[in-house]
Formats: sequence, structure tokens, C-alpha cells
Amino acid sequence: MNSAVSDGASPFSLIDADVHNYPDSIADLVPFLSARWQAYAEQSGLQLPGVSLYPKVFAAAARRDAWPPGGGKPGSDPNFAAVQLLDEWSIDRAILNPLVAASGVHNIELGNALARAVNEWTAAHWLDADPRWRGSIAVNVRDPEGAAAEIRHWARDPRFVQVLLLARSYAPYGKRAFRPLLRAAAECDLPVGIHFGGGGDVPITACGWPSYYIEDHTTMTQAFETHVVSLVCEGVFCELSALRVVLIEGGFAWLPGLIWRLDKNWRGLRSEVPWLVKPPSEYIRAHFRSTTQPMEEPDNPQHLVQIIDMIGCEDFLMFATDYPHWDFDAPNRTLPSALPDAMRRGILSTHAESFYGLS
Amino acid sequence: MVSVELGALSRFTDGVPEQVTLSGRDLVVVRRGDAVYVLRNRCPHQGALLSEGHLTGFVPACRPGEQIAIERAGEIIVCPWHGWEFDVRTGRSLCDPENTRVRAYAAHVVDGCVVVDID
Repeated sequence: MNSAVSDGASPFSLIDADVHNYPDSIADLVPFLSARWQAYAEQSGLQLPGVSLYPKVFAAAARRDAWPPGGGKPGSDPNFAAVQLLDEWSIDRAILNPLVAASGVHNIELGNALARAVNEWTAAHWLDADPRWRGSIAVNVRDPEGAAAEIRHWARDPRFVQVLLLARSYAPYGKRAFRPLLRAAAECDLPVGIHFGGGGDVPITACGWPSYYIEDHTTMTQAFETHVVSLVCEGVFCELSALRVVLIEGGFAWLPGLIWRLDKNWRGLRSEVPWLVKPPSEYIRAHFRSTTQPMEEPDNPQHLVQIIDMIGCEDFLMFATDYPHWDFDAPNRTLPSALPDAMRRGILSTHAESFYGLS
Repeated sequence: MVSVELGALSRFTDGVPEQVTLSGRDLVVVRRGDAVYVLRNRCPHQGALLSEGHLTGFVPACRPGEQIAIERAGEIIVCPWHGWEFDVRTGRSLCDPENTRVRAYAAHVVDGCVVVDID
């Protein structure tokens, strides 16, 4: 069912840049906690931390056919996920983003312990199970120094290919407090993935709390915009020239307008951020990439091709399914047929192969 | 047009969409009491199997703040992936009935047996 076009030069025809693996419960993580945190988990009845601000309309926010037949939550069974996703679509490599909100607990030490346990669990239950999986390093953003240590620990395992942050954070990631985390990622040559989700500290939109999940889901782009602008304007890329950031599950059609607006404002407000020695768009094109899902679906598919052109970066997009979630993008039905073959090939495989250094 | 028997009505569970393959056609059969509806088993959006979806009712338009109703229980099939809704009687999408539809086949119950008309 794979619709990729092989050029013979790459060993890959399809790479999925966003898949979710979930512990079925805290019990899956307990073996990877220290004796102190095991005792704490047992005594307190600790549950997996997570933020569910609105009922998702779909149970576990999942495709209805993604519940493993052997039991457990969608995304909790590596073997079923391999069959339903990797085998079904002939996916060569898939990047796992475990959405356990280690940053959602206010106890710094517990958050760090949970992040470590998630990474140990990903390595033991997923990366060891199938060579097609690649991992993302979960970190506790409430402790940027601790997060940096976590990044440096896992950077030694080449199967971990990025650092995972969530879009709805308590502050924009360009703020100096986060710099140790970003510096560690840059020094380890690991991209930082900012993924859809998070929340709990501040209202989820710039104007407060909306009423419905459809608003929650649609306005997620606000958080992505905030981080893009913050990372550029705070001068992060002036300090960390090797840092690479990938926007995951934020869509991308909003980017051209943001780029134009930021460039225009820079012309008049440059003296406020004098470390920006070139238009913000140049930092964005040099340091940011994006995954495709949830692919915007304009009535005229040609408009999507125009938007990709407006972003102005040949290798900006990397295909993602978001399995097992309900807004999954099917590899053979998502990209518009109007897309030129070379661009299609790039989005489906070679951009991610190069960006993540996959082998 | 030929009429083809799909089996006894009693073999189809009320309210549970069921996949049936017929001469290379992938169909989804929906039983609602003594009535039966048959649709092509593919969502026109991204190709998910509608038989993996679920049945619900029709939520009619209303004004903000009004009581939200649900009617025609079990006559709307929901795609398992993205939640697109289709009327099992017509195959038409609830959001875009003129342009988005799943092919619907005429189906009847004759002497306790489900019969579908196909080309």
C-alpha cells in the first residue's frame, strides 16, 4: 500500500516521523523506577501523569481499530503496532513519541524519574523488539539541567534520534531557563521535537479556555507559533548554531503567514533584538522542519503545493501518520496527487532520513 | 442488476457493522432491527474500513445553547479513523451530502434472508 517512489539511492521508501507508544499503566514503568520511587508509586497509588483537558470524542484519542486484540490501550502493544502500522504500510523506520507527561508533575525528582523510566521502557519494550523503531528522549522540562543530563545519557544510544518536548508548555522554549536543555540537544546533535499536546499550567489559548475539543485541537497552532517566534527572537540560534527543531503534529499551512509577519516586524523592531543579524525567516528555514500530519486538506489540493512553496525550504516537510490516534494520516491517501514526484519522495523518506541521520 | 443473498437476517448482529465480501466487492452490512443497509466498505476520505467503525445517531443542527438532540439511533456509521459520519440509508456524508458519499446498495429482507441488489 506504500505509495512512495523509490529512487534507488535511498534504502528507505517510507519513514513515519510520528508514532505513539504508550505504557498501558504505571505498572509498565515501575520496573524502571528506583526502589524509592517504586515504593512511592505503590504507597501513593500513582497513575500515569497526563493532561486530558477535554473528552477526545474518540476513546484514548485513537483510531477505533487500534485497540490491540490482546488487550491494553492503543499504542501499548509493540507487536500489534508493528503489524497494523509498519507491516501494513511497508514503513522502513518510525519515530516513537511517548506522550507520558513527565513534565506534568510538579515534583522535580519524580518528573525526572518518570522521564528516565519512560526512556528505559521505550528502549526495552520497543527499540529492542523491532529494528524499525526509533526513539525520542522524554525529558522533564521543569528541570532543564536534569533534562540536559537525560539527553546526554541517551545520546549514547543511536536508536534515540531526538528530544521530545510538548507544545503547550508553561513558558516559551526560547526563554533562557530552557537553554541547558537546548544546548545539550545541540551538542549531542539531536533535534528537538516539539509535539502537539501538553498543558495544565496556563490556559490553552492566548485568550483563555475554549469550550470544545474541536477548539482545543484546532488552536494548538498558537502554541507552535509561540515557540517558533520565541526560539528565533530570544537568539537561541545565534548561541546554538547547530540546534535543529522539528514541529510535530502542528500542521504547517500557518507558517507562511507567520514568516511574513515576523520578517515585516523585524524590519521595524530589529533594534529590540539586535542579535538577529538576518531576517527571522532565514533562521526559521535554517533551523526548523515540520512533520506533515495533521495534513491540512484545502478543497483545491494545488493550494497545498503552493503553501509548501511559500515556506521556501525544499526539505522542510517529513511525513507522519500519528498512529494510533484518530487523526491518523494514511501514507497512500494523504499527500496531494499534484505534488511533484521529487517532492513526494522527499517528504515520504529522504528528508527524514537525512534530518534524523537514519540508517 | 442482480439480487444476491447474504444469508439469514439472524446472522447479522443488530447495531454492529459487519464486513461482507461479495464477488470482489467489499461491503459493510448494517442491521437495524428488521431493516438492513449495505454500503461500500471504504471511507472516501482515506480509505478506512467502515466495518471497523461504529454506529450512532444523527445529531441535528440546533442553535448554540439549545438542547442537543440525537435521533435515528444506529443509522449513522462513523469512520474508525477520522470520524466522518455517513447516513446508512443513503451513504451520504452528513457534512457534505452532495459531494461526499459512500456507495449505497439497495438491500431487503425476504423470508428472513438478507438480499442485496448489485450491478
